[in-house]
Amino acid sequence: MSDRPAGDFKTTYVQDMAILDTRFYRVGFVCLLAGLALAPLWLGRFIFVLNAIGIFAIGACGLTLLTGFTGQISLGHAAFMAIGAYASALLTQGWRLPFILALPLATTITFVCGIVVGLPSLRIKGLYLAIATLAFQFLTEYAIIHATGGIGAIPVPPASIAGWTIRTERQFYYLLLVVWVTSAVFAANLVRSRIGLTLMAVRDRDYAAQVLGINLLFYKTLAFGLAASYAGIAGSLWAHYSRLLTTEQFTIGQSIDYVAMVVIGGLTSIWGPHLGATVVVLLSQGLKIITPMLVSIIPAFGKIATPLREIAFGVTLIGLLIWEPGGVAMLFKKLKRLLNLWPFAY
Amino acid sequence: MTAEFLLNGLVNGIAVGSIYALIALGFALLYKSTKILNLAHGELVLLGGYVAIALTQVVPFPIAVVLTLGLAALLGFAIERVIMRPLFGQPLLSLIIVTLALGYIIRGTMVGIWGGSTRTFPAVLPAGLVYIAGIPMQTVGAFSAATAAVLLVVFWLFFRYSLAGIAMRAAANEQLTASTLGVSLRRVFAYAWAFASAAGAIGGILLGLWLGVNFALGAVGLKALAAGILGGLDSIPGAILGGLAIGVIETVVGGYIDTNVIYGLYGFKDIIAFVVILLVLLVRPYGLFGTEHIERL
Repeated sequence: MSDRPAGDFKTTYVQDMAILDTRFYRVGFVCLLAGLALAPLWLGRFIFVLNAIGIFAIGACGLTLLTGFTGQISLGHAAFMAIGAYASALLTQGWRLPFILALPLATTITFVCGIVVGLPSLRIKGLYLAIATLAFQFLTEYAIIHATGGIGAIPVPPASIAGWTIRTERQFYYLLLVVWVTSAVFAANLVRSRIGLTLMAVRDRDYAAQVLGINLLFYKTLAFGLAASYAGIAGSLWAHYSRLLTTEQFTIGQSIDYVAMVVIGGLTSIWGPHLGATVVVLLSQGLKIITPMLVSIIPAFGKIATPLREIAFGVTLIGLLIWEPGGVAMLFKKLKRLLNLWPFAY
Repeated sequence: MTAEFLLNGLVNGIAVGSIYALIALGFALLYKSTKILNLAHGELVLLGGYVAIALTQVVPFPIAVVLTLGLAALLGFAIERVIMRPLFGQPLLSLIIVTLALGYIIRGTMVGIWGGSTRTFPAVLPAGLVYIAGIPMQTVGAFSAATAAVLLVVFWLFFRYSLAGIAMRAAANEQLTASTLGVSLRRVFAYAWAFASAAGAIGGILLGLWLGVNFALGAVGLKALAAGILGGLDSIPGAILGGLAIGVIETVVGGYIDTNVIYGLYGFKDIIAFVVILLVLLVRPYGLFGTEHIERL
């Protein structure tokens, strides 16, 4: 069905391909950007939540490109984030490079790692690929622990750009916002480009795509490389945000959270990773606030306060997937349809 | 690497491996008939161990084992009915996420009820060592190896000859066709979950007898997954042999590297299972005994 307002016709291909195709969307997007830019005003000391959302949304963007648009499952996304974070830490701490150079260099390093990890995807598919990436996750954790010793704790200097050192949450937020919007817009544009269409052809049926003349080796490894470099950006930002890296920040649990974000947000939507990251971060932060409150009301909960968070996370995930397998993006779509047709059902 | 070390590692590896094999059996049972990889299986295994230990406080050990298996089967039915059935036909990734979320719930429940300390059975098996060809082996190891062998035969006969087993194989092969020919997919899925859950509980009980159960042992489930991949995910003999192979490789190769510390690779024993996964997947993506899936356009 068409969701366009009456009288607003697409008369050129440029209009047809536009990401924000109606005035409502354009105005809404500007409002969203303005809201995000002014976020420190209305969020106050809770700005750290938005920082976490932004970092994970960038990482999840890569996973959406890989899983949602190319159909390759990865359970090792946090490993790429770890590679990006440690690369960035080494470049700024060990080699004294400025952050503005370390970020693209770390991204390049993870891109190369992603290409290497993506090579087996030609032979391994579906579930087996998920397991192979799971193995990659564990091997990376092991390698980093052995390369740095102990739990891999290394301090990271704060990011500084042109003599301006980023120390507070608020300063970091503006750095993050620039990177976040840029990478999100890049992903949205990539999806409608020739490369994006090719990736979707690979997702739908890789052999059929090959018959059509698509070079599977190139595009599958490219998808892995792109996903990895997004995770690398997220990792590099995370390194300069948390300022102390340990391997415990990039465990298999983090990889699972990434997959959860992508699935919750909606796999084949460019808004999906951002919505998913928002839901997952808000959920885990919200549970952190709610569980102590519950314990103070019902003291018998004291012993199970920590596991309660895990249980609630699991239940929410399952509930959401049973209720709407298409994710939050699909919920929005349904809401929009409802409003368009209201008060009639069709 | 002396011959004695090798032989010792072989026997002890089989003892460890038979527990991996029993857990991998759960992966294989479920995958064989539903094409779902249950990543919460490690947690189900531990839950089985915890429940059996809790029950032995009240009833004698054999009754506790039977009760645990019954409860595990019921839990399997419940999981299928409440969680998996509404998601029938959803893409692979959603199903993986749901089983992972299920793992979170089970782990949270276990930690909430039993806390973080390791629980062990009261002495129910004769303690000490069994000598196999002059090599000492833990009694529990011999016990679990025997259990693995028995279960292998039982499930092989079940899938080969019983009507329900054939229906389950049919459903695994091609769900739509099987359904058209009168196989009740719901029943097949429910049975598969019950079997897998019960097989996991057996693994959990043996693990409890051997090491004691602790929720941090969830990694055992992942090593068993390596075993399943090695043997081929949809093959029952594959799961058993894969488990034994991972056990032996881990004990012999991992033990050798760890004792001699080559290039500072300490702790290599815990990671070798994943190296094996990667190598096997690159050479034979469908495992040693798995069915090769031929893709046609």
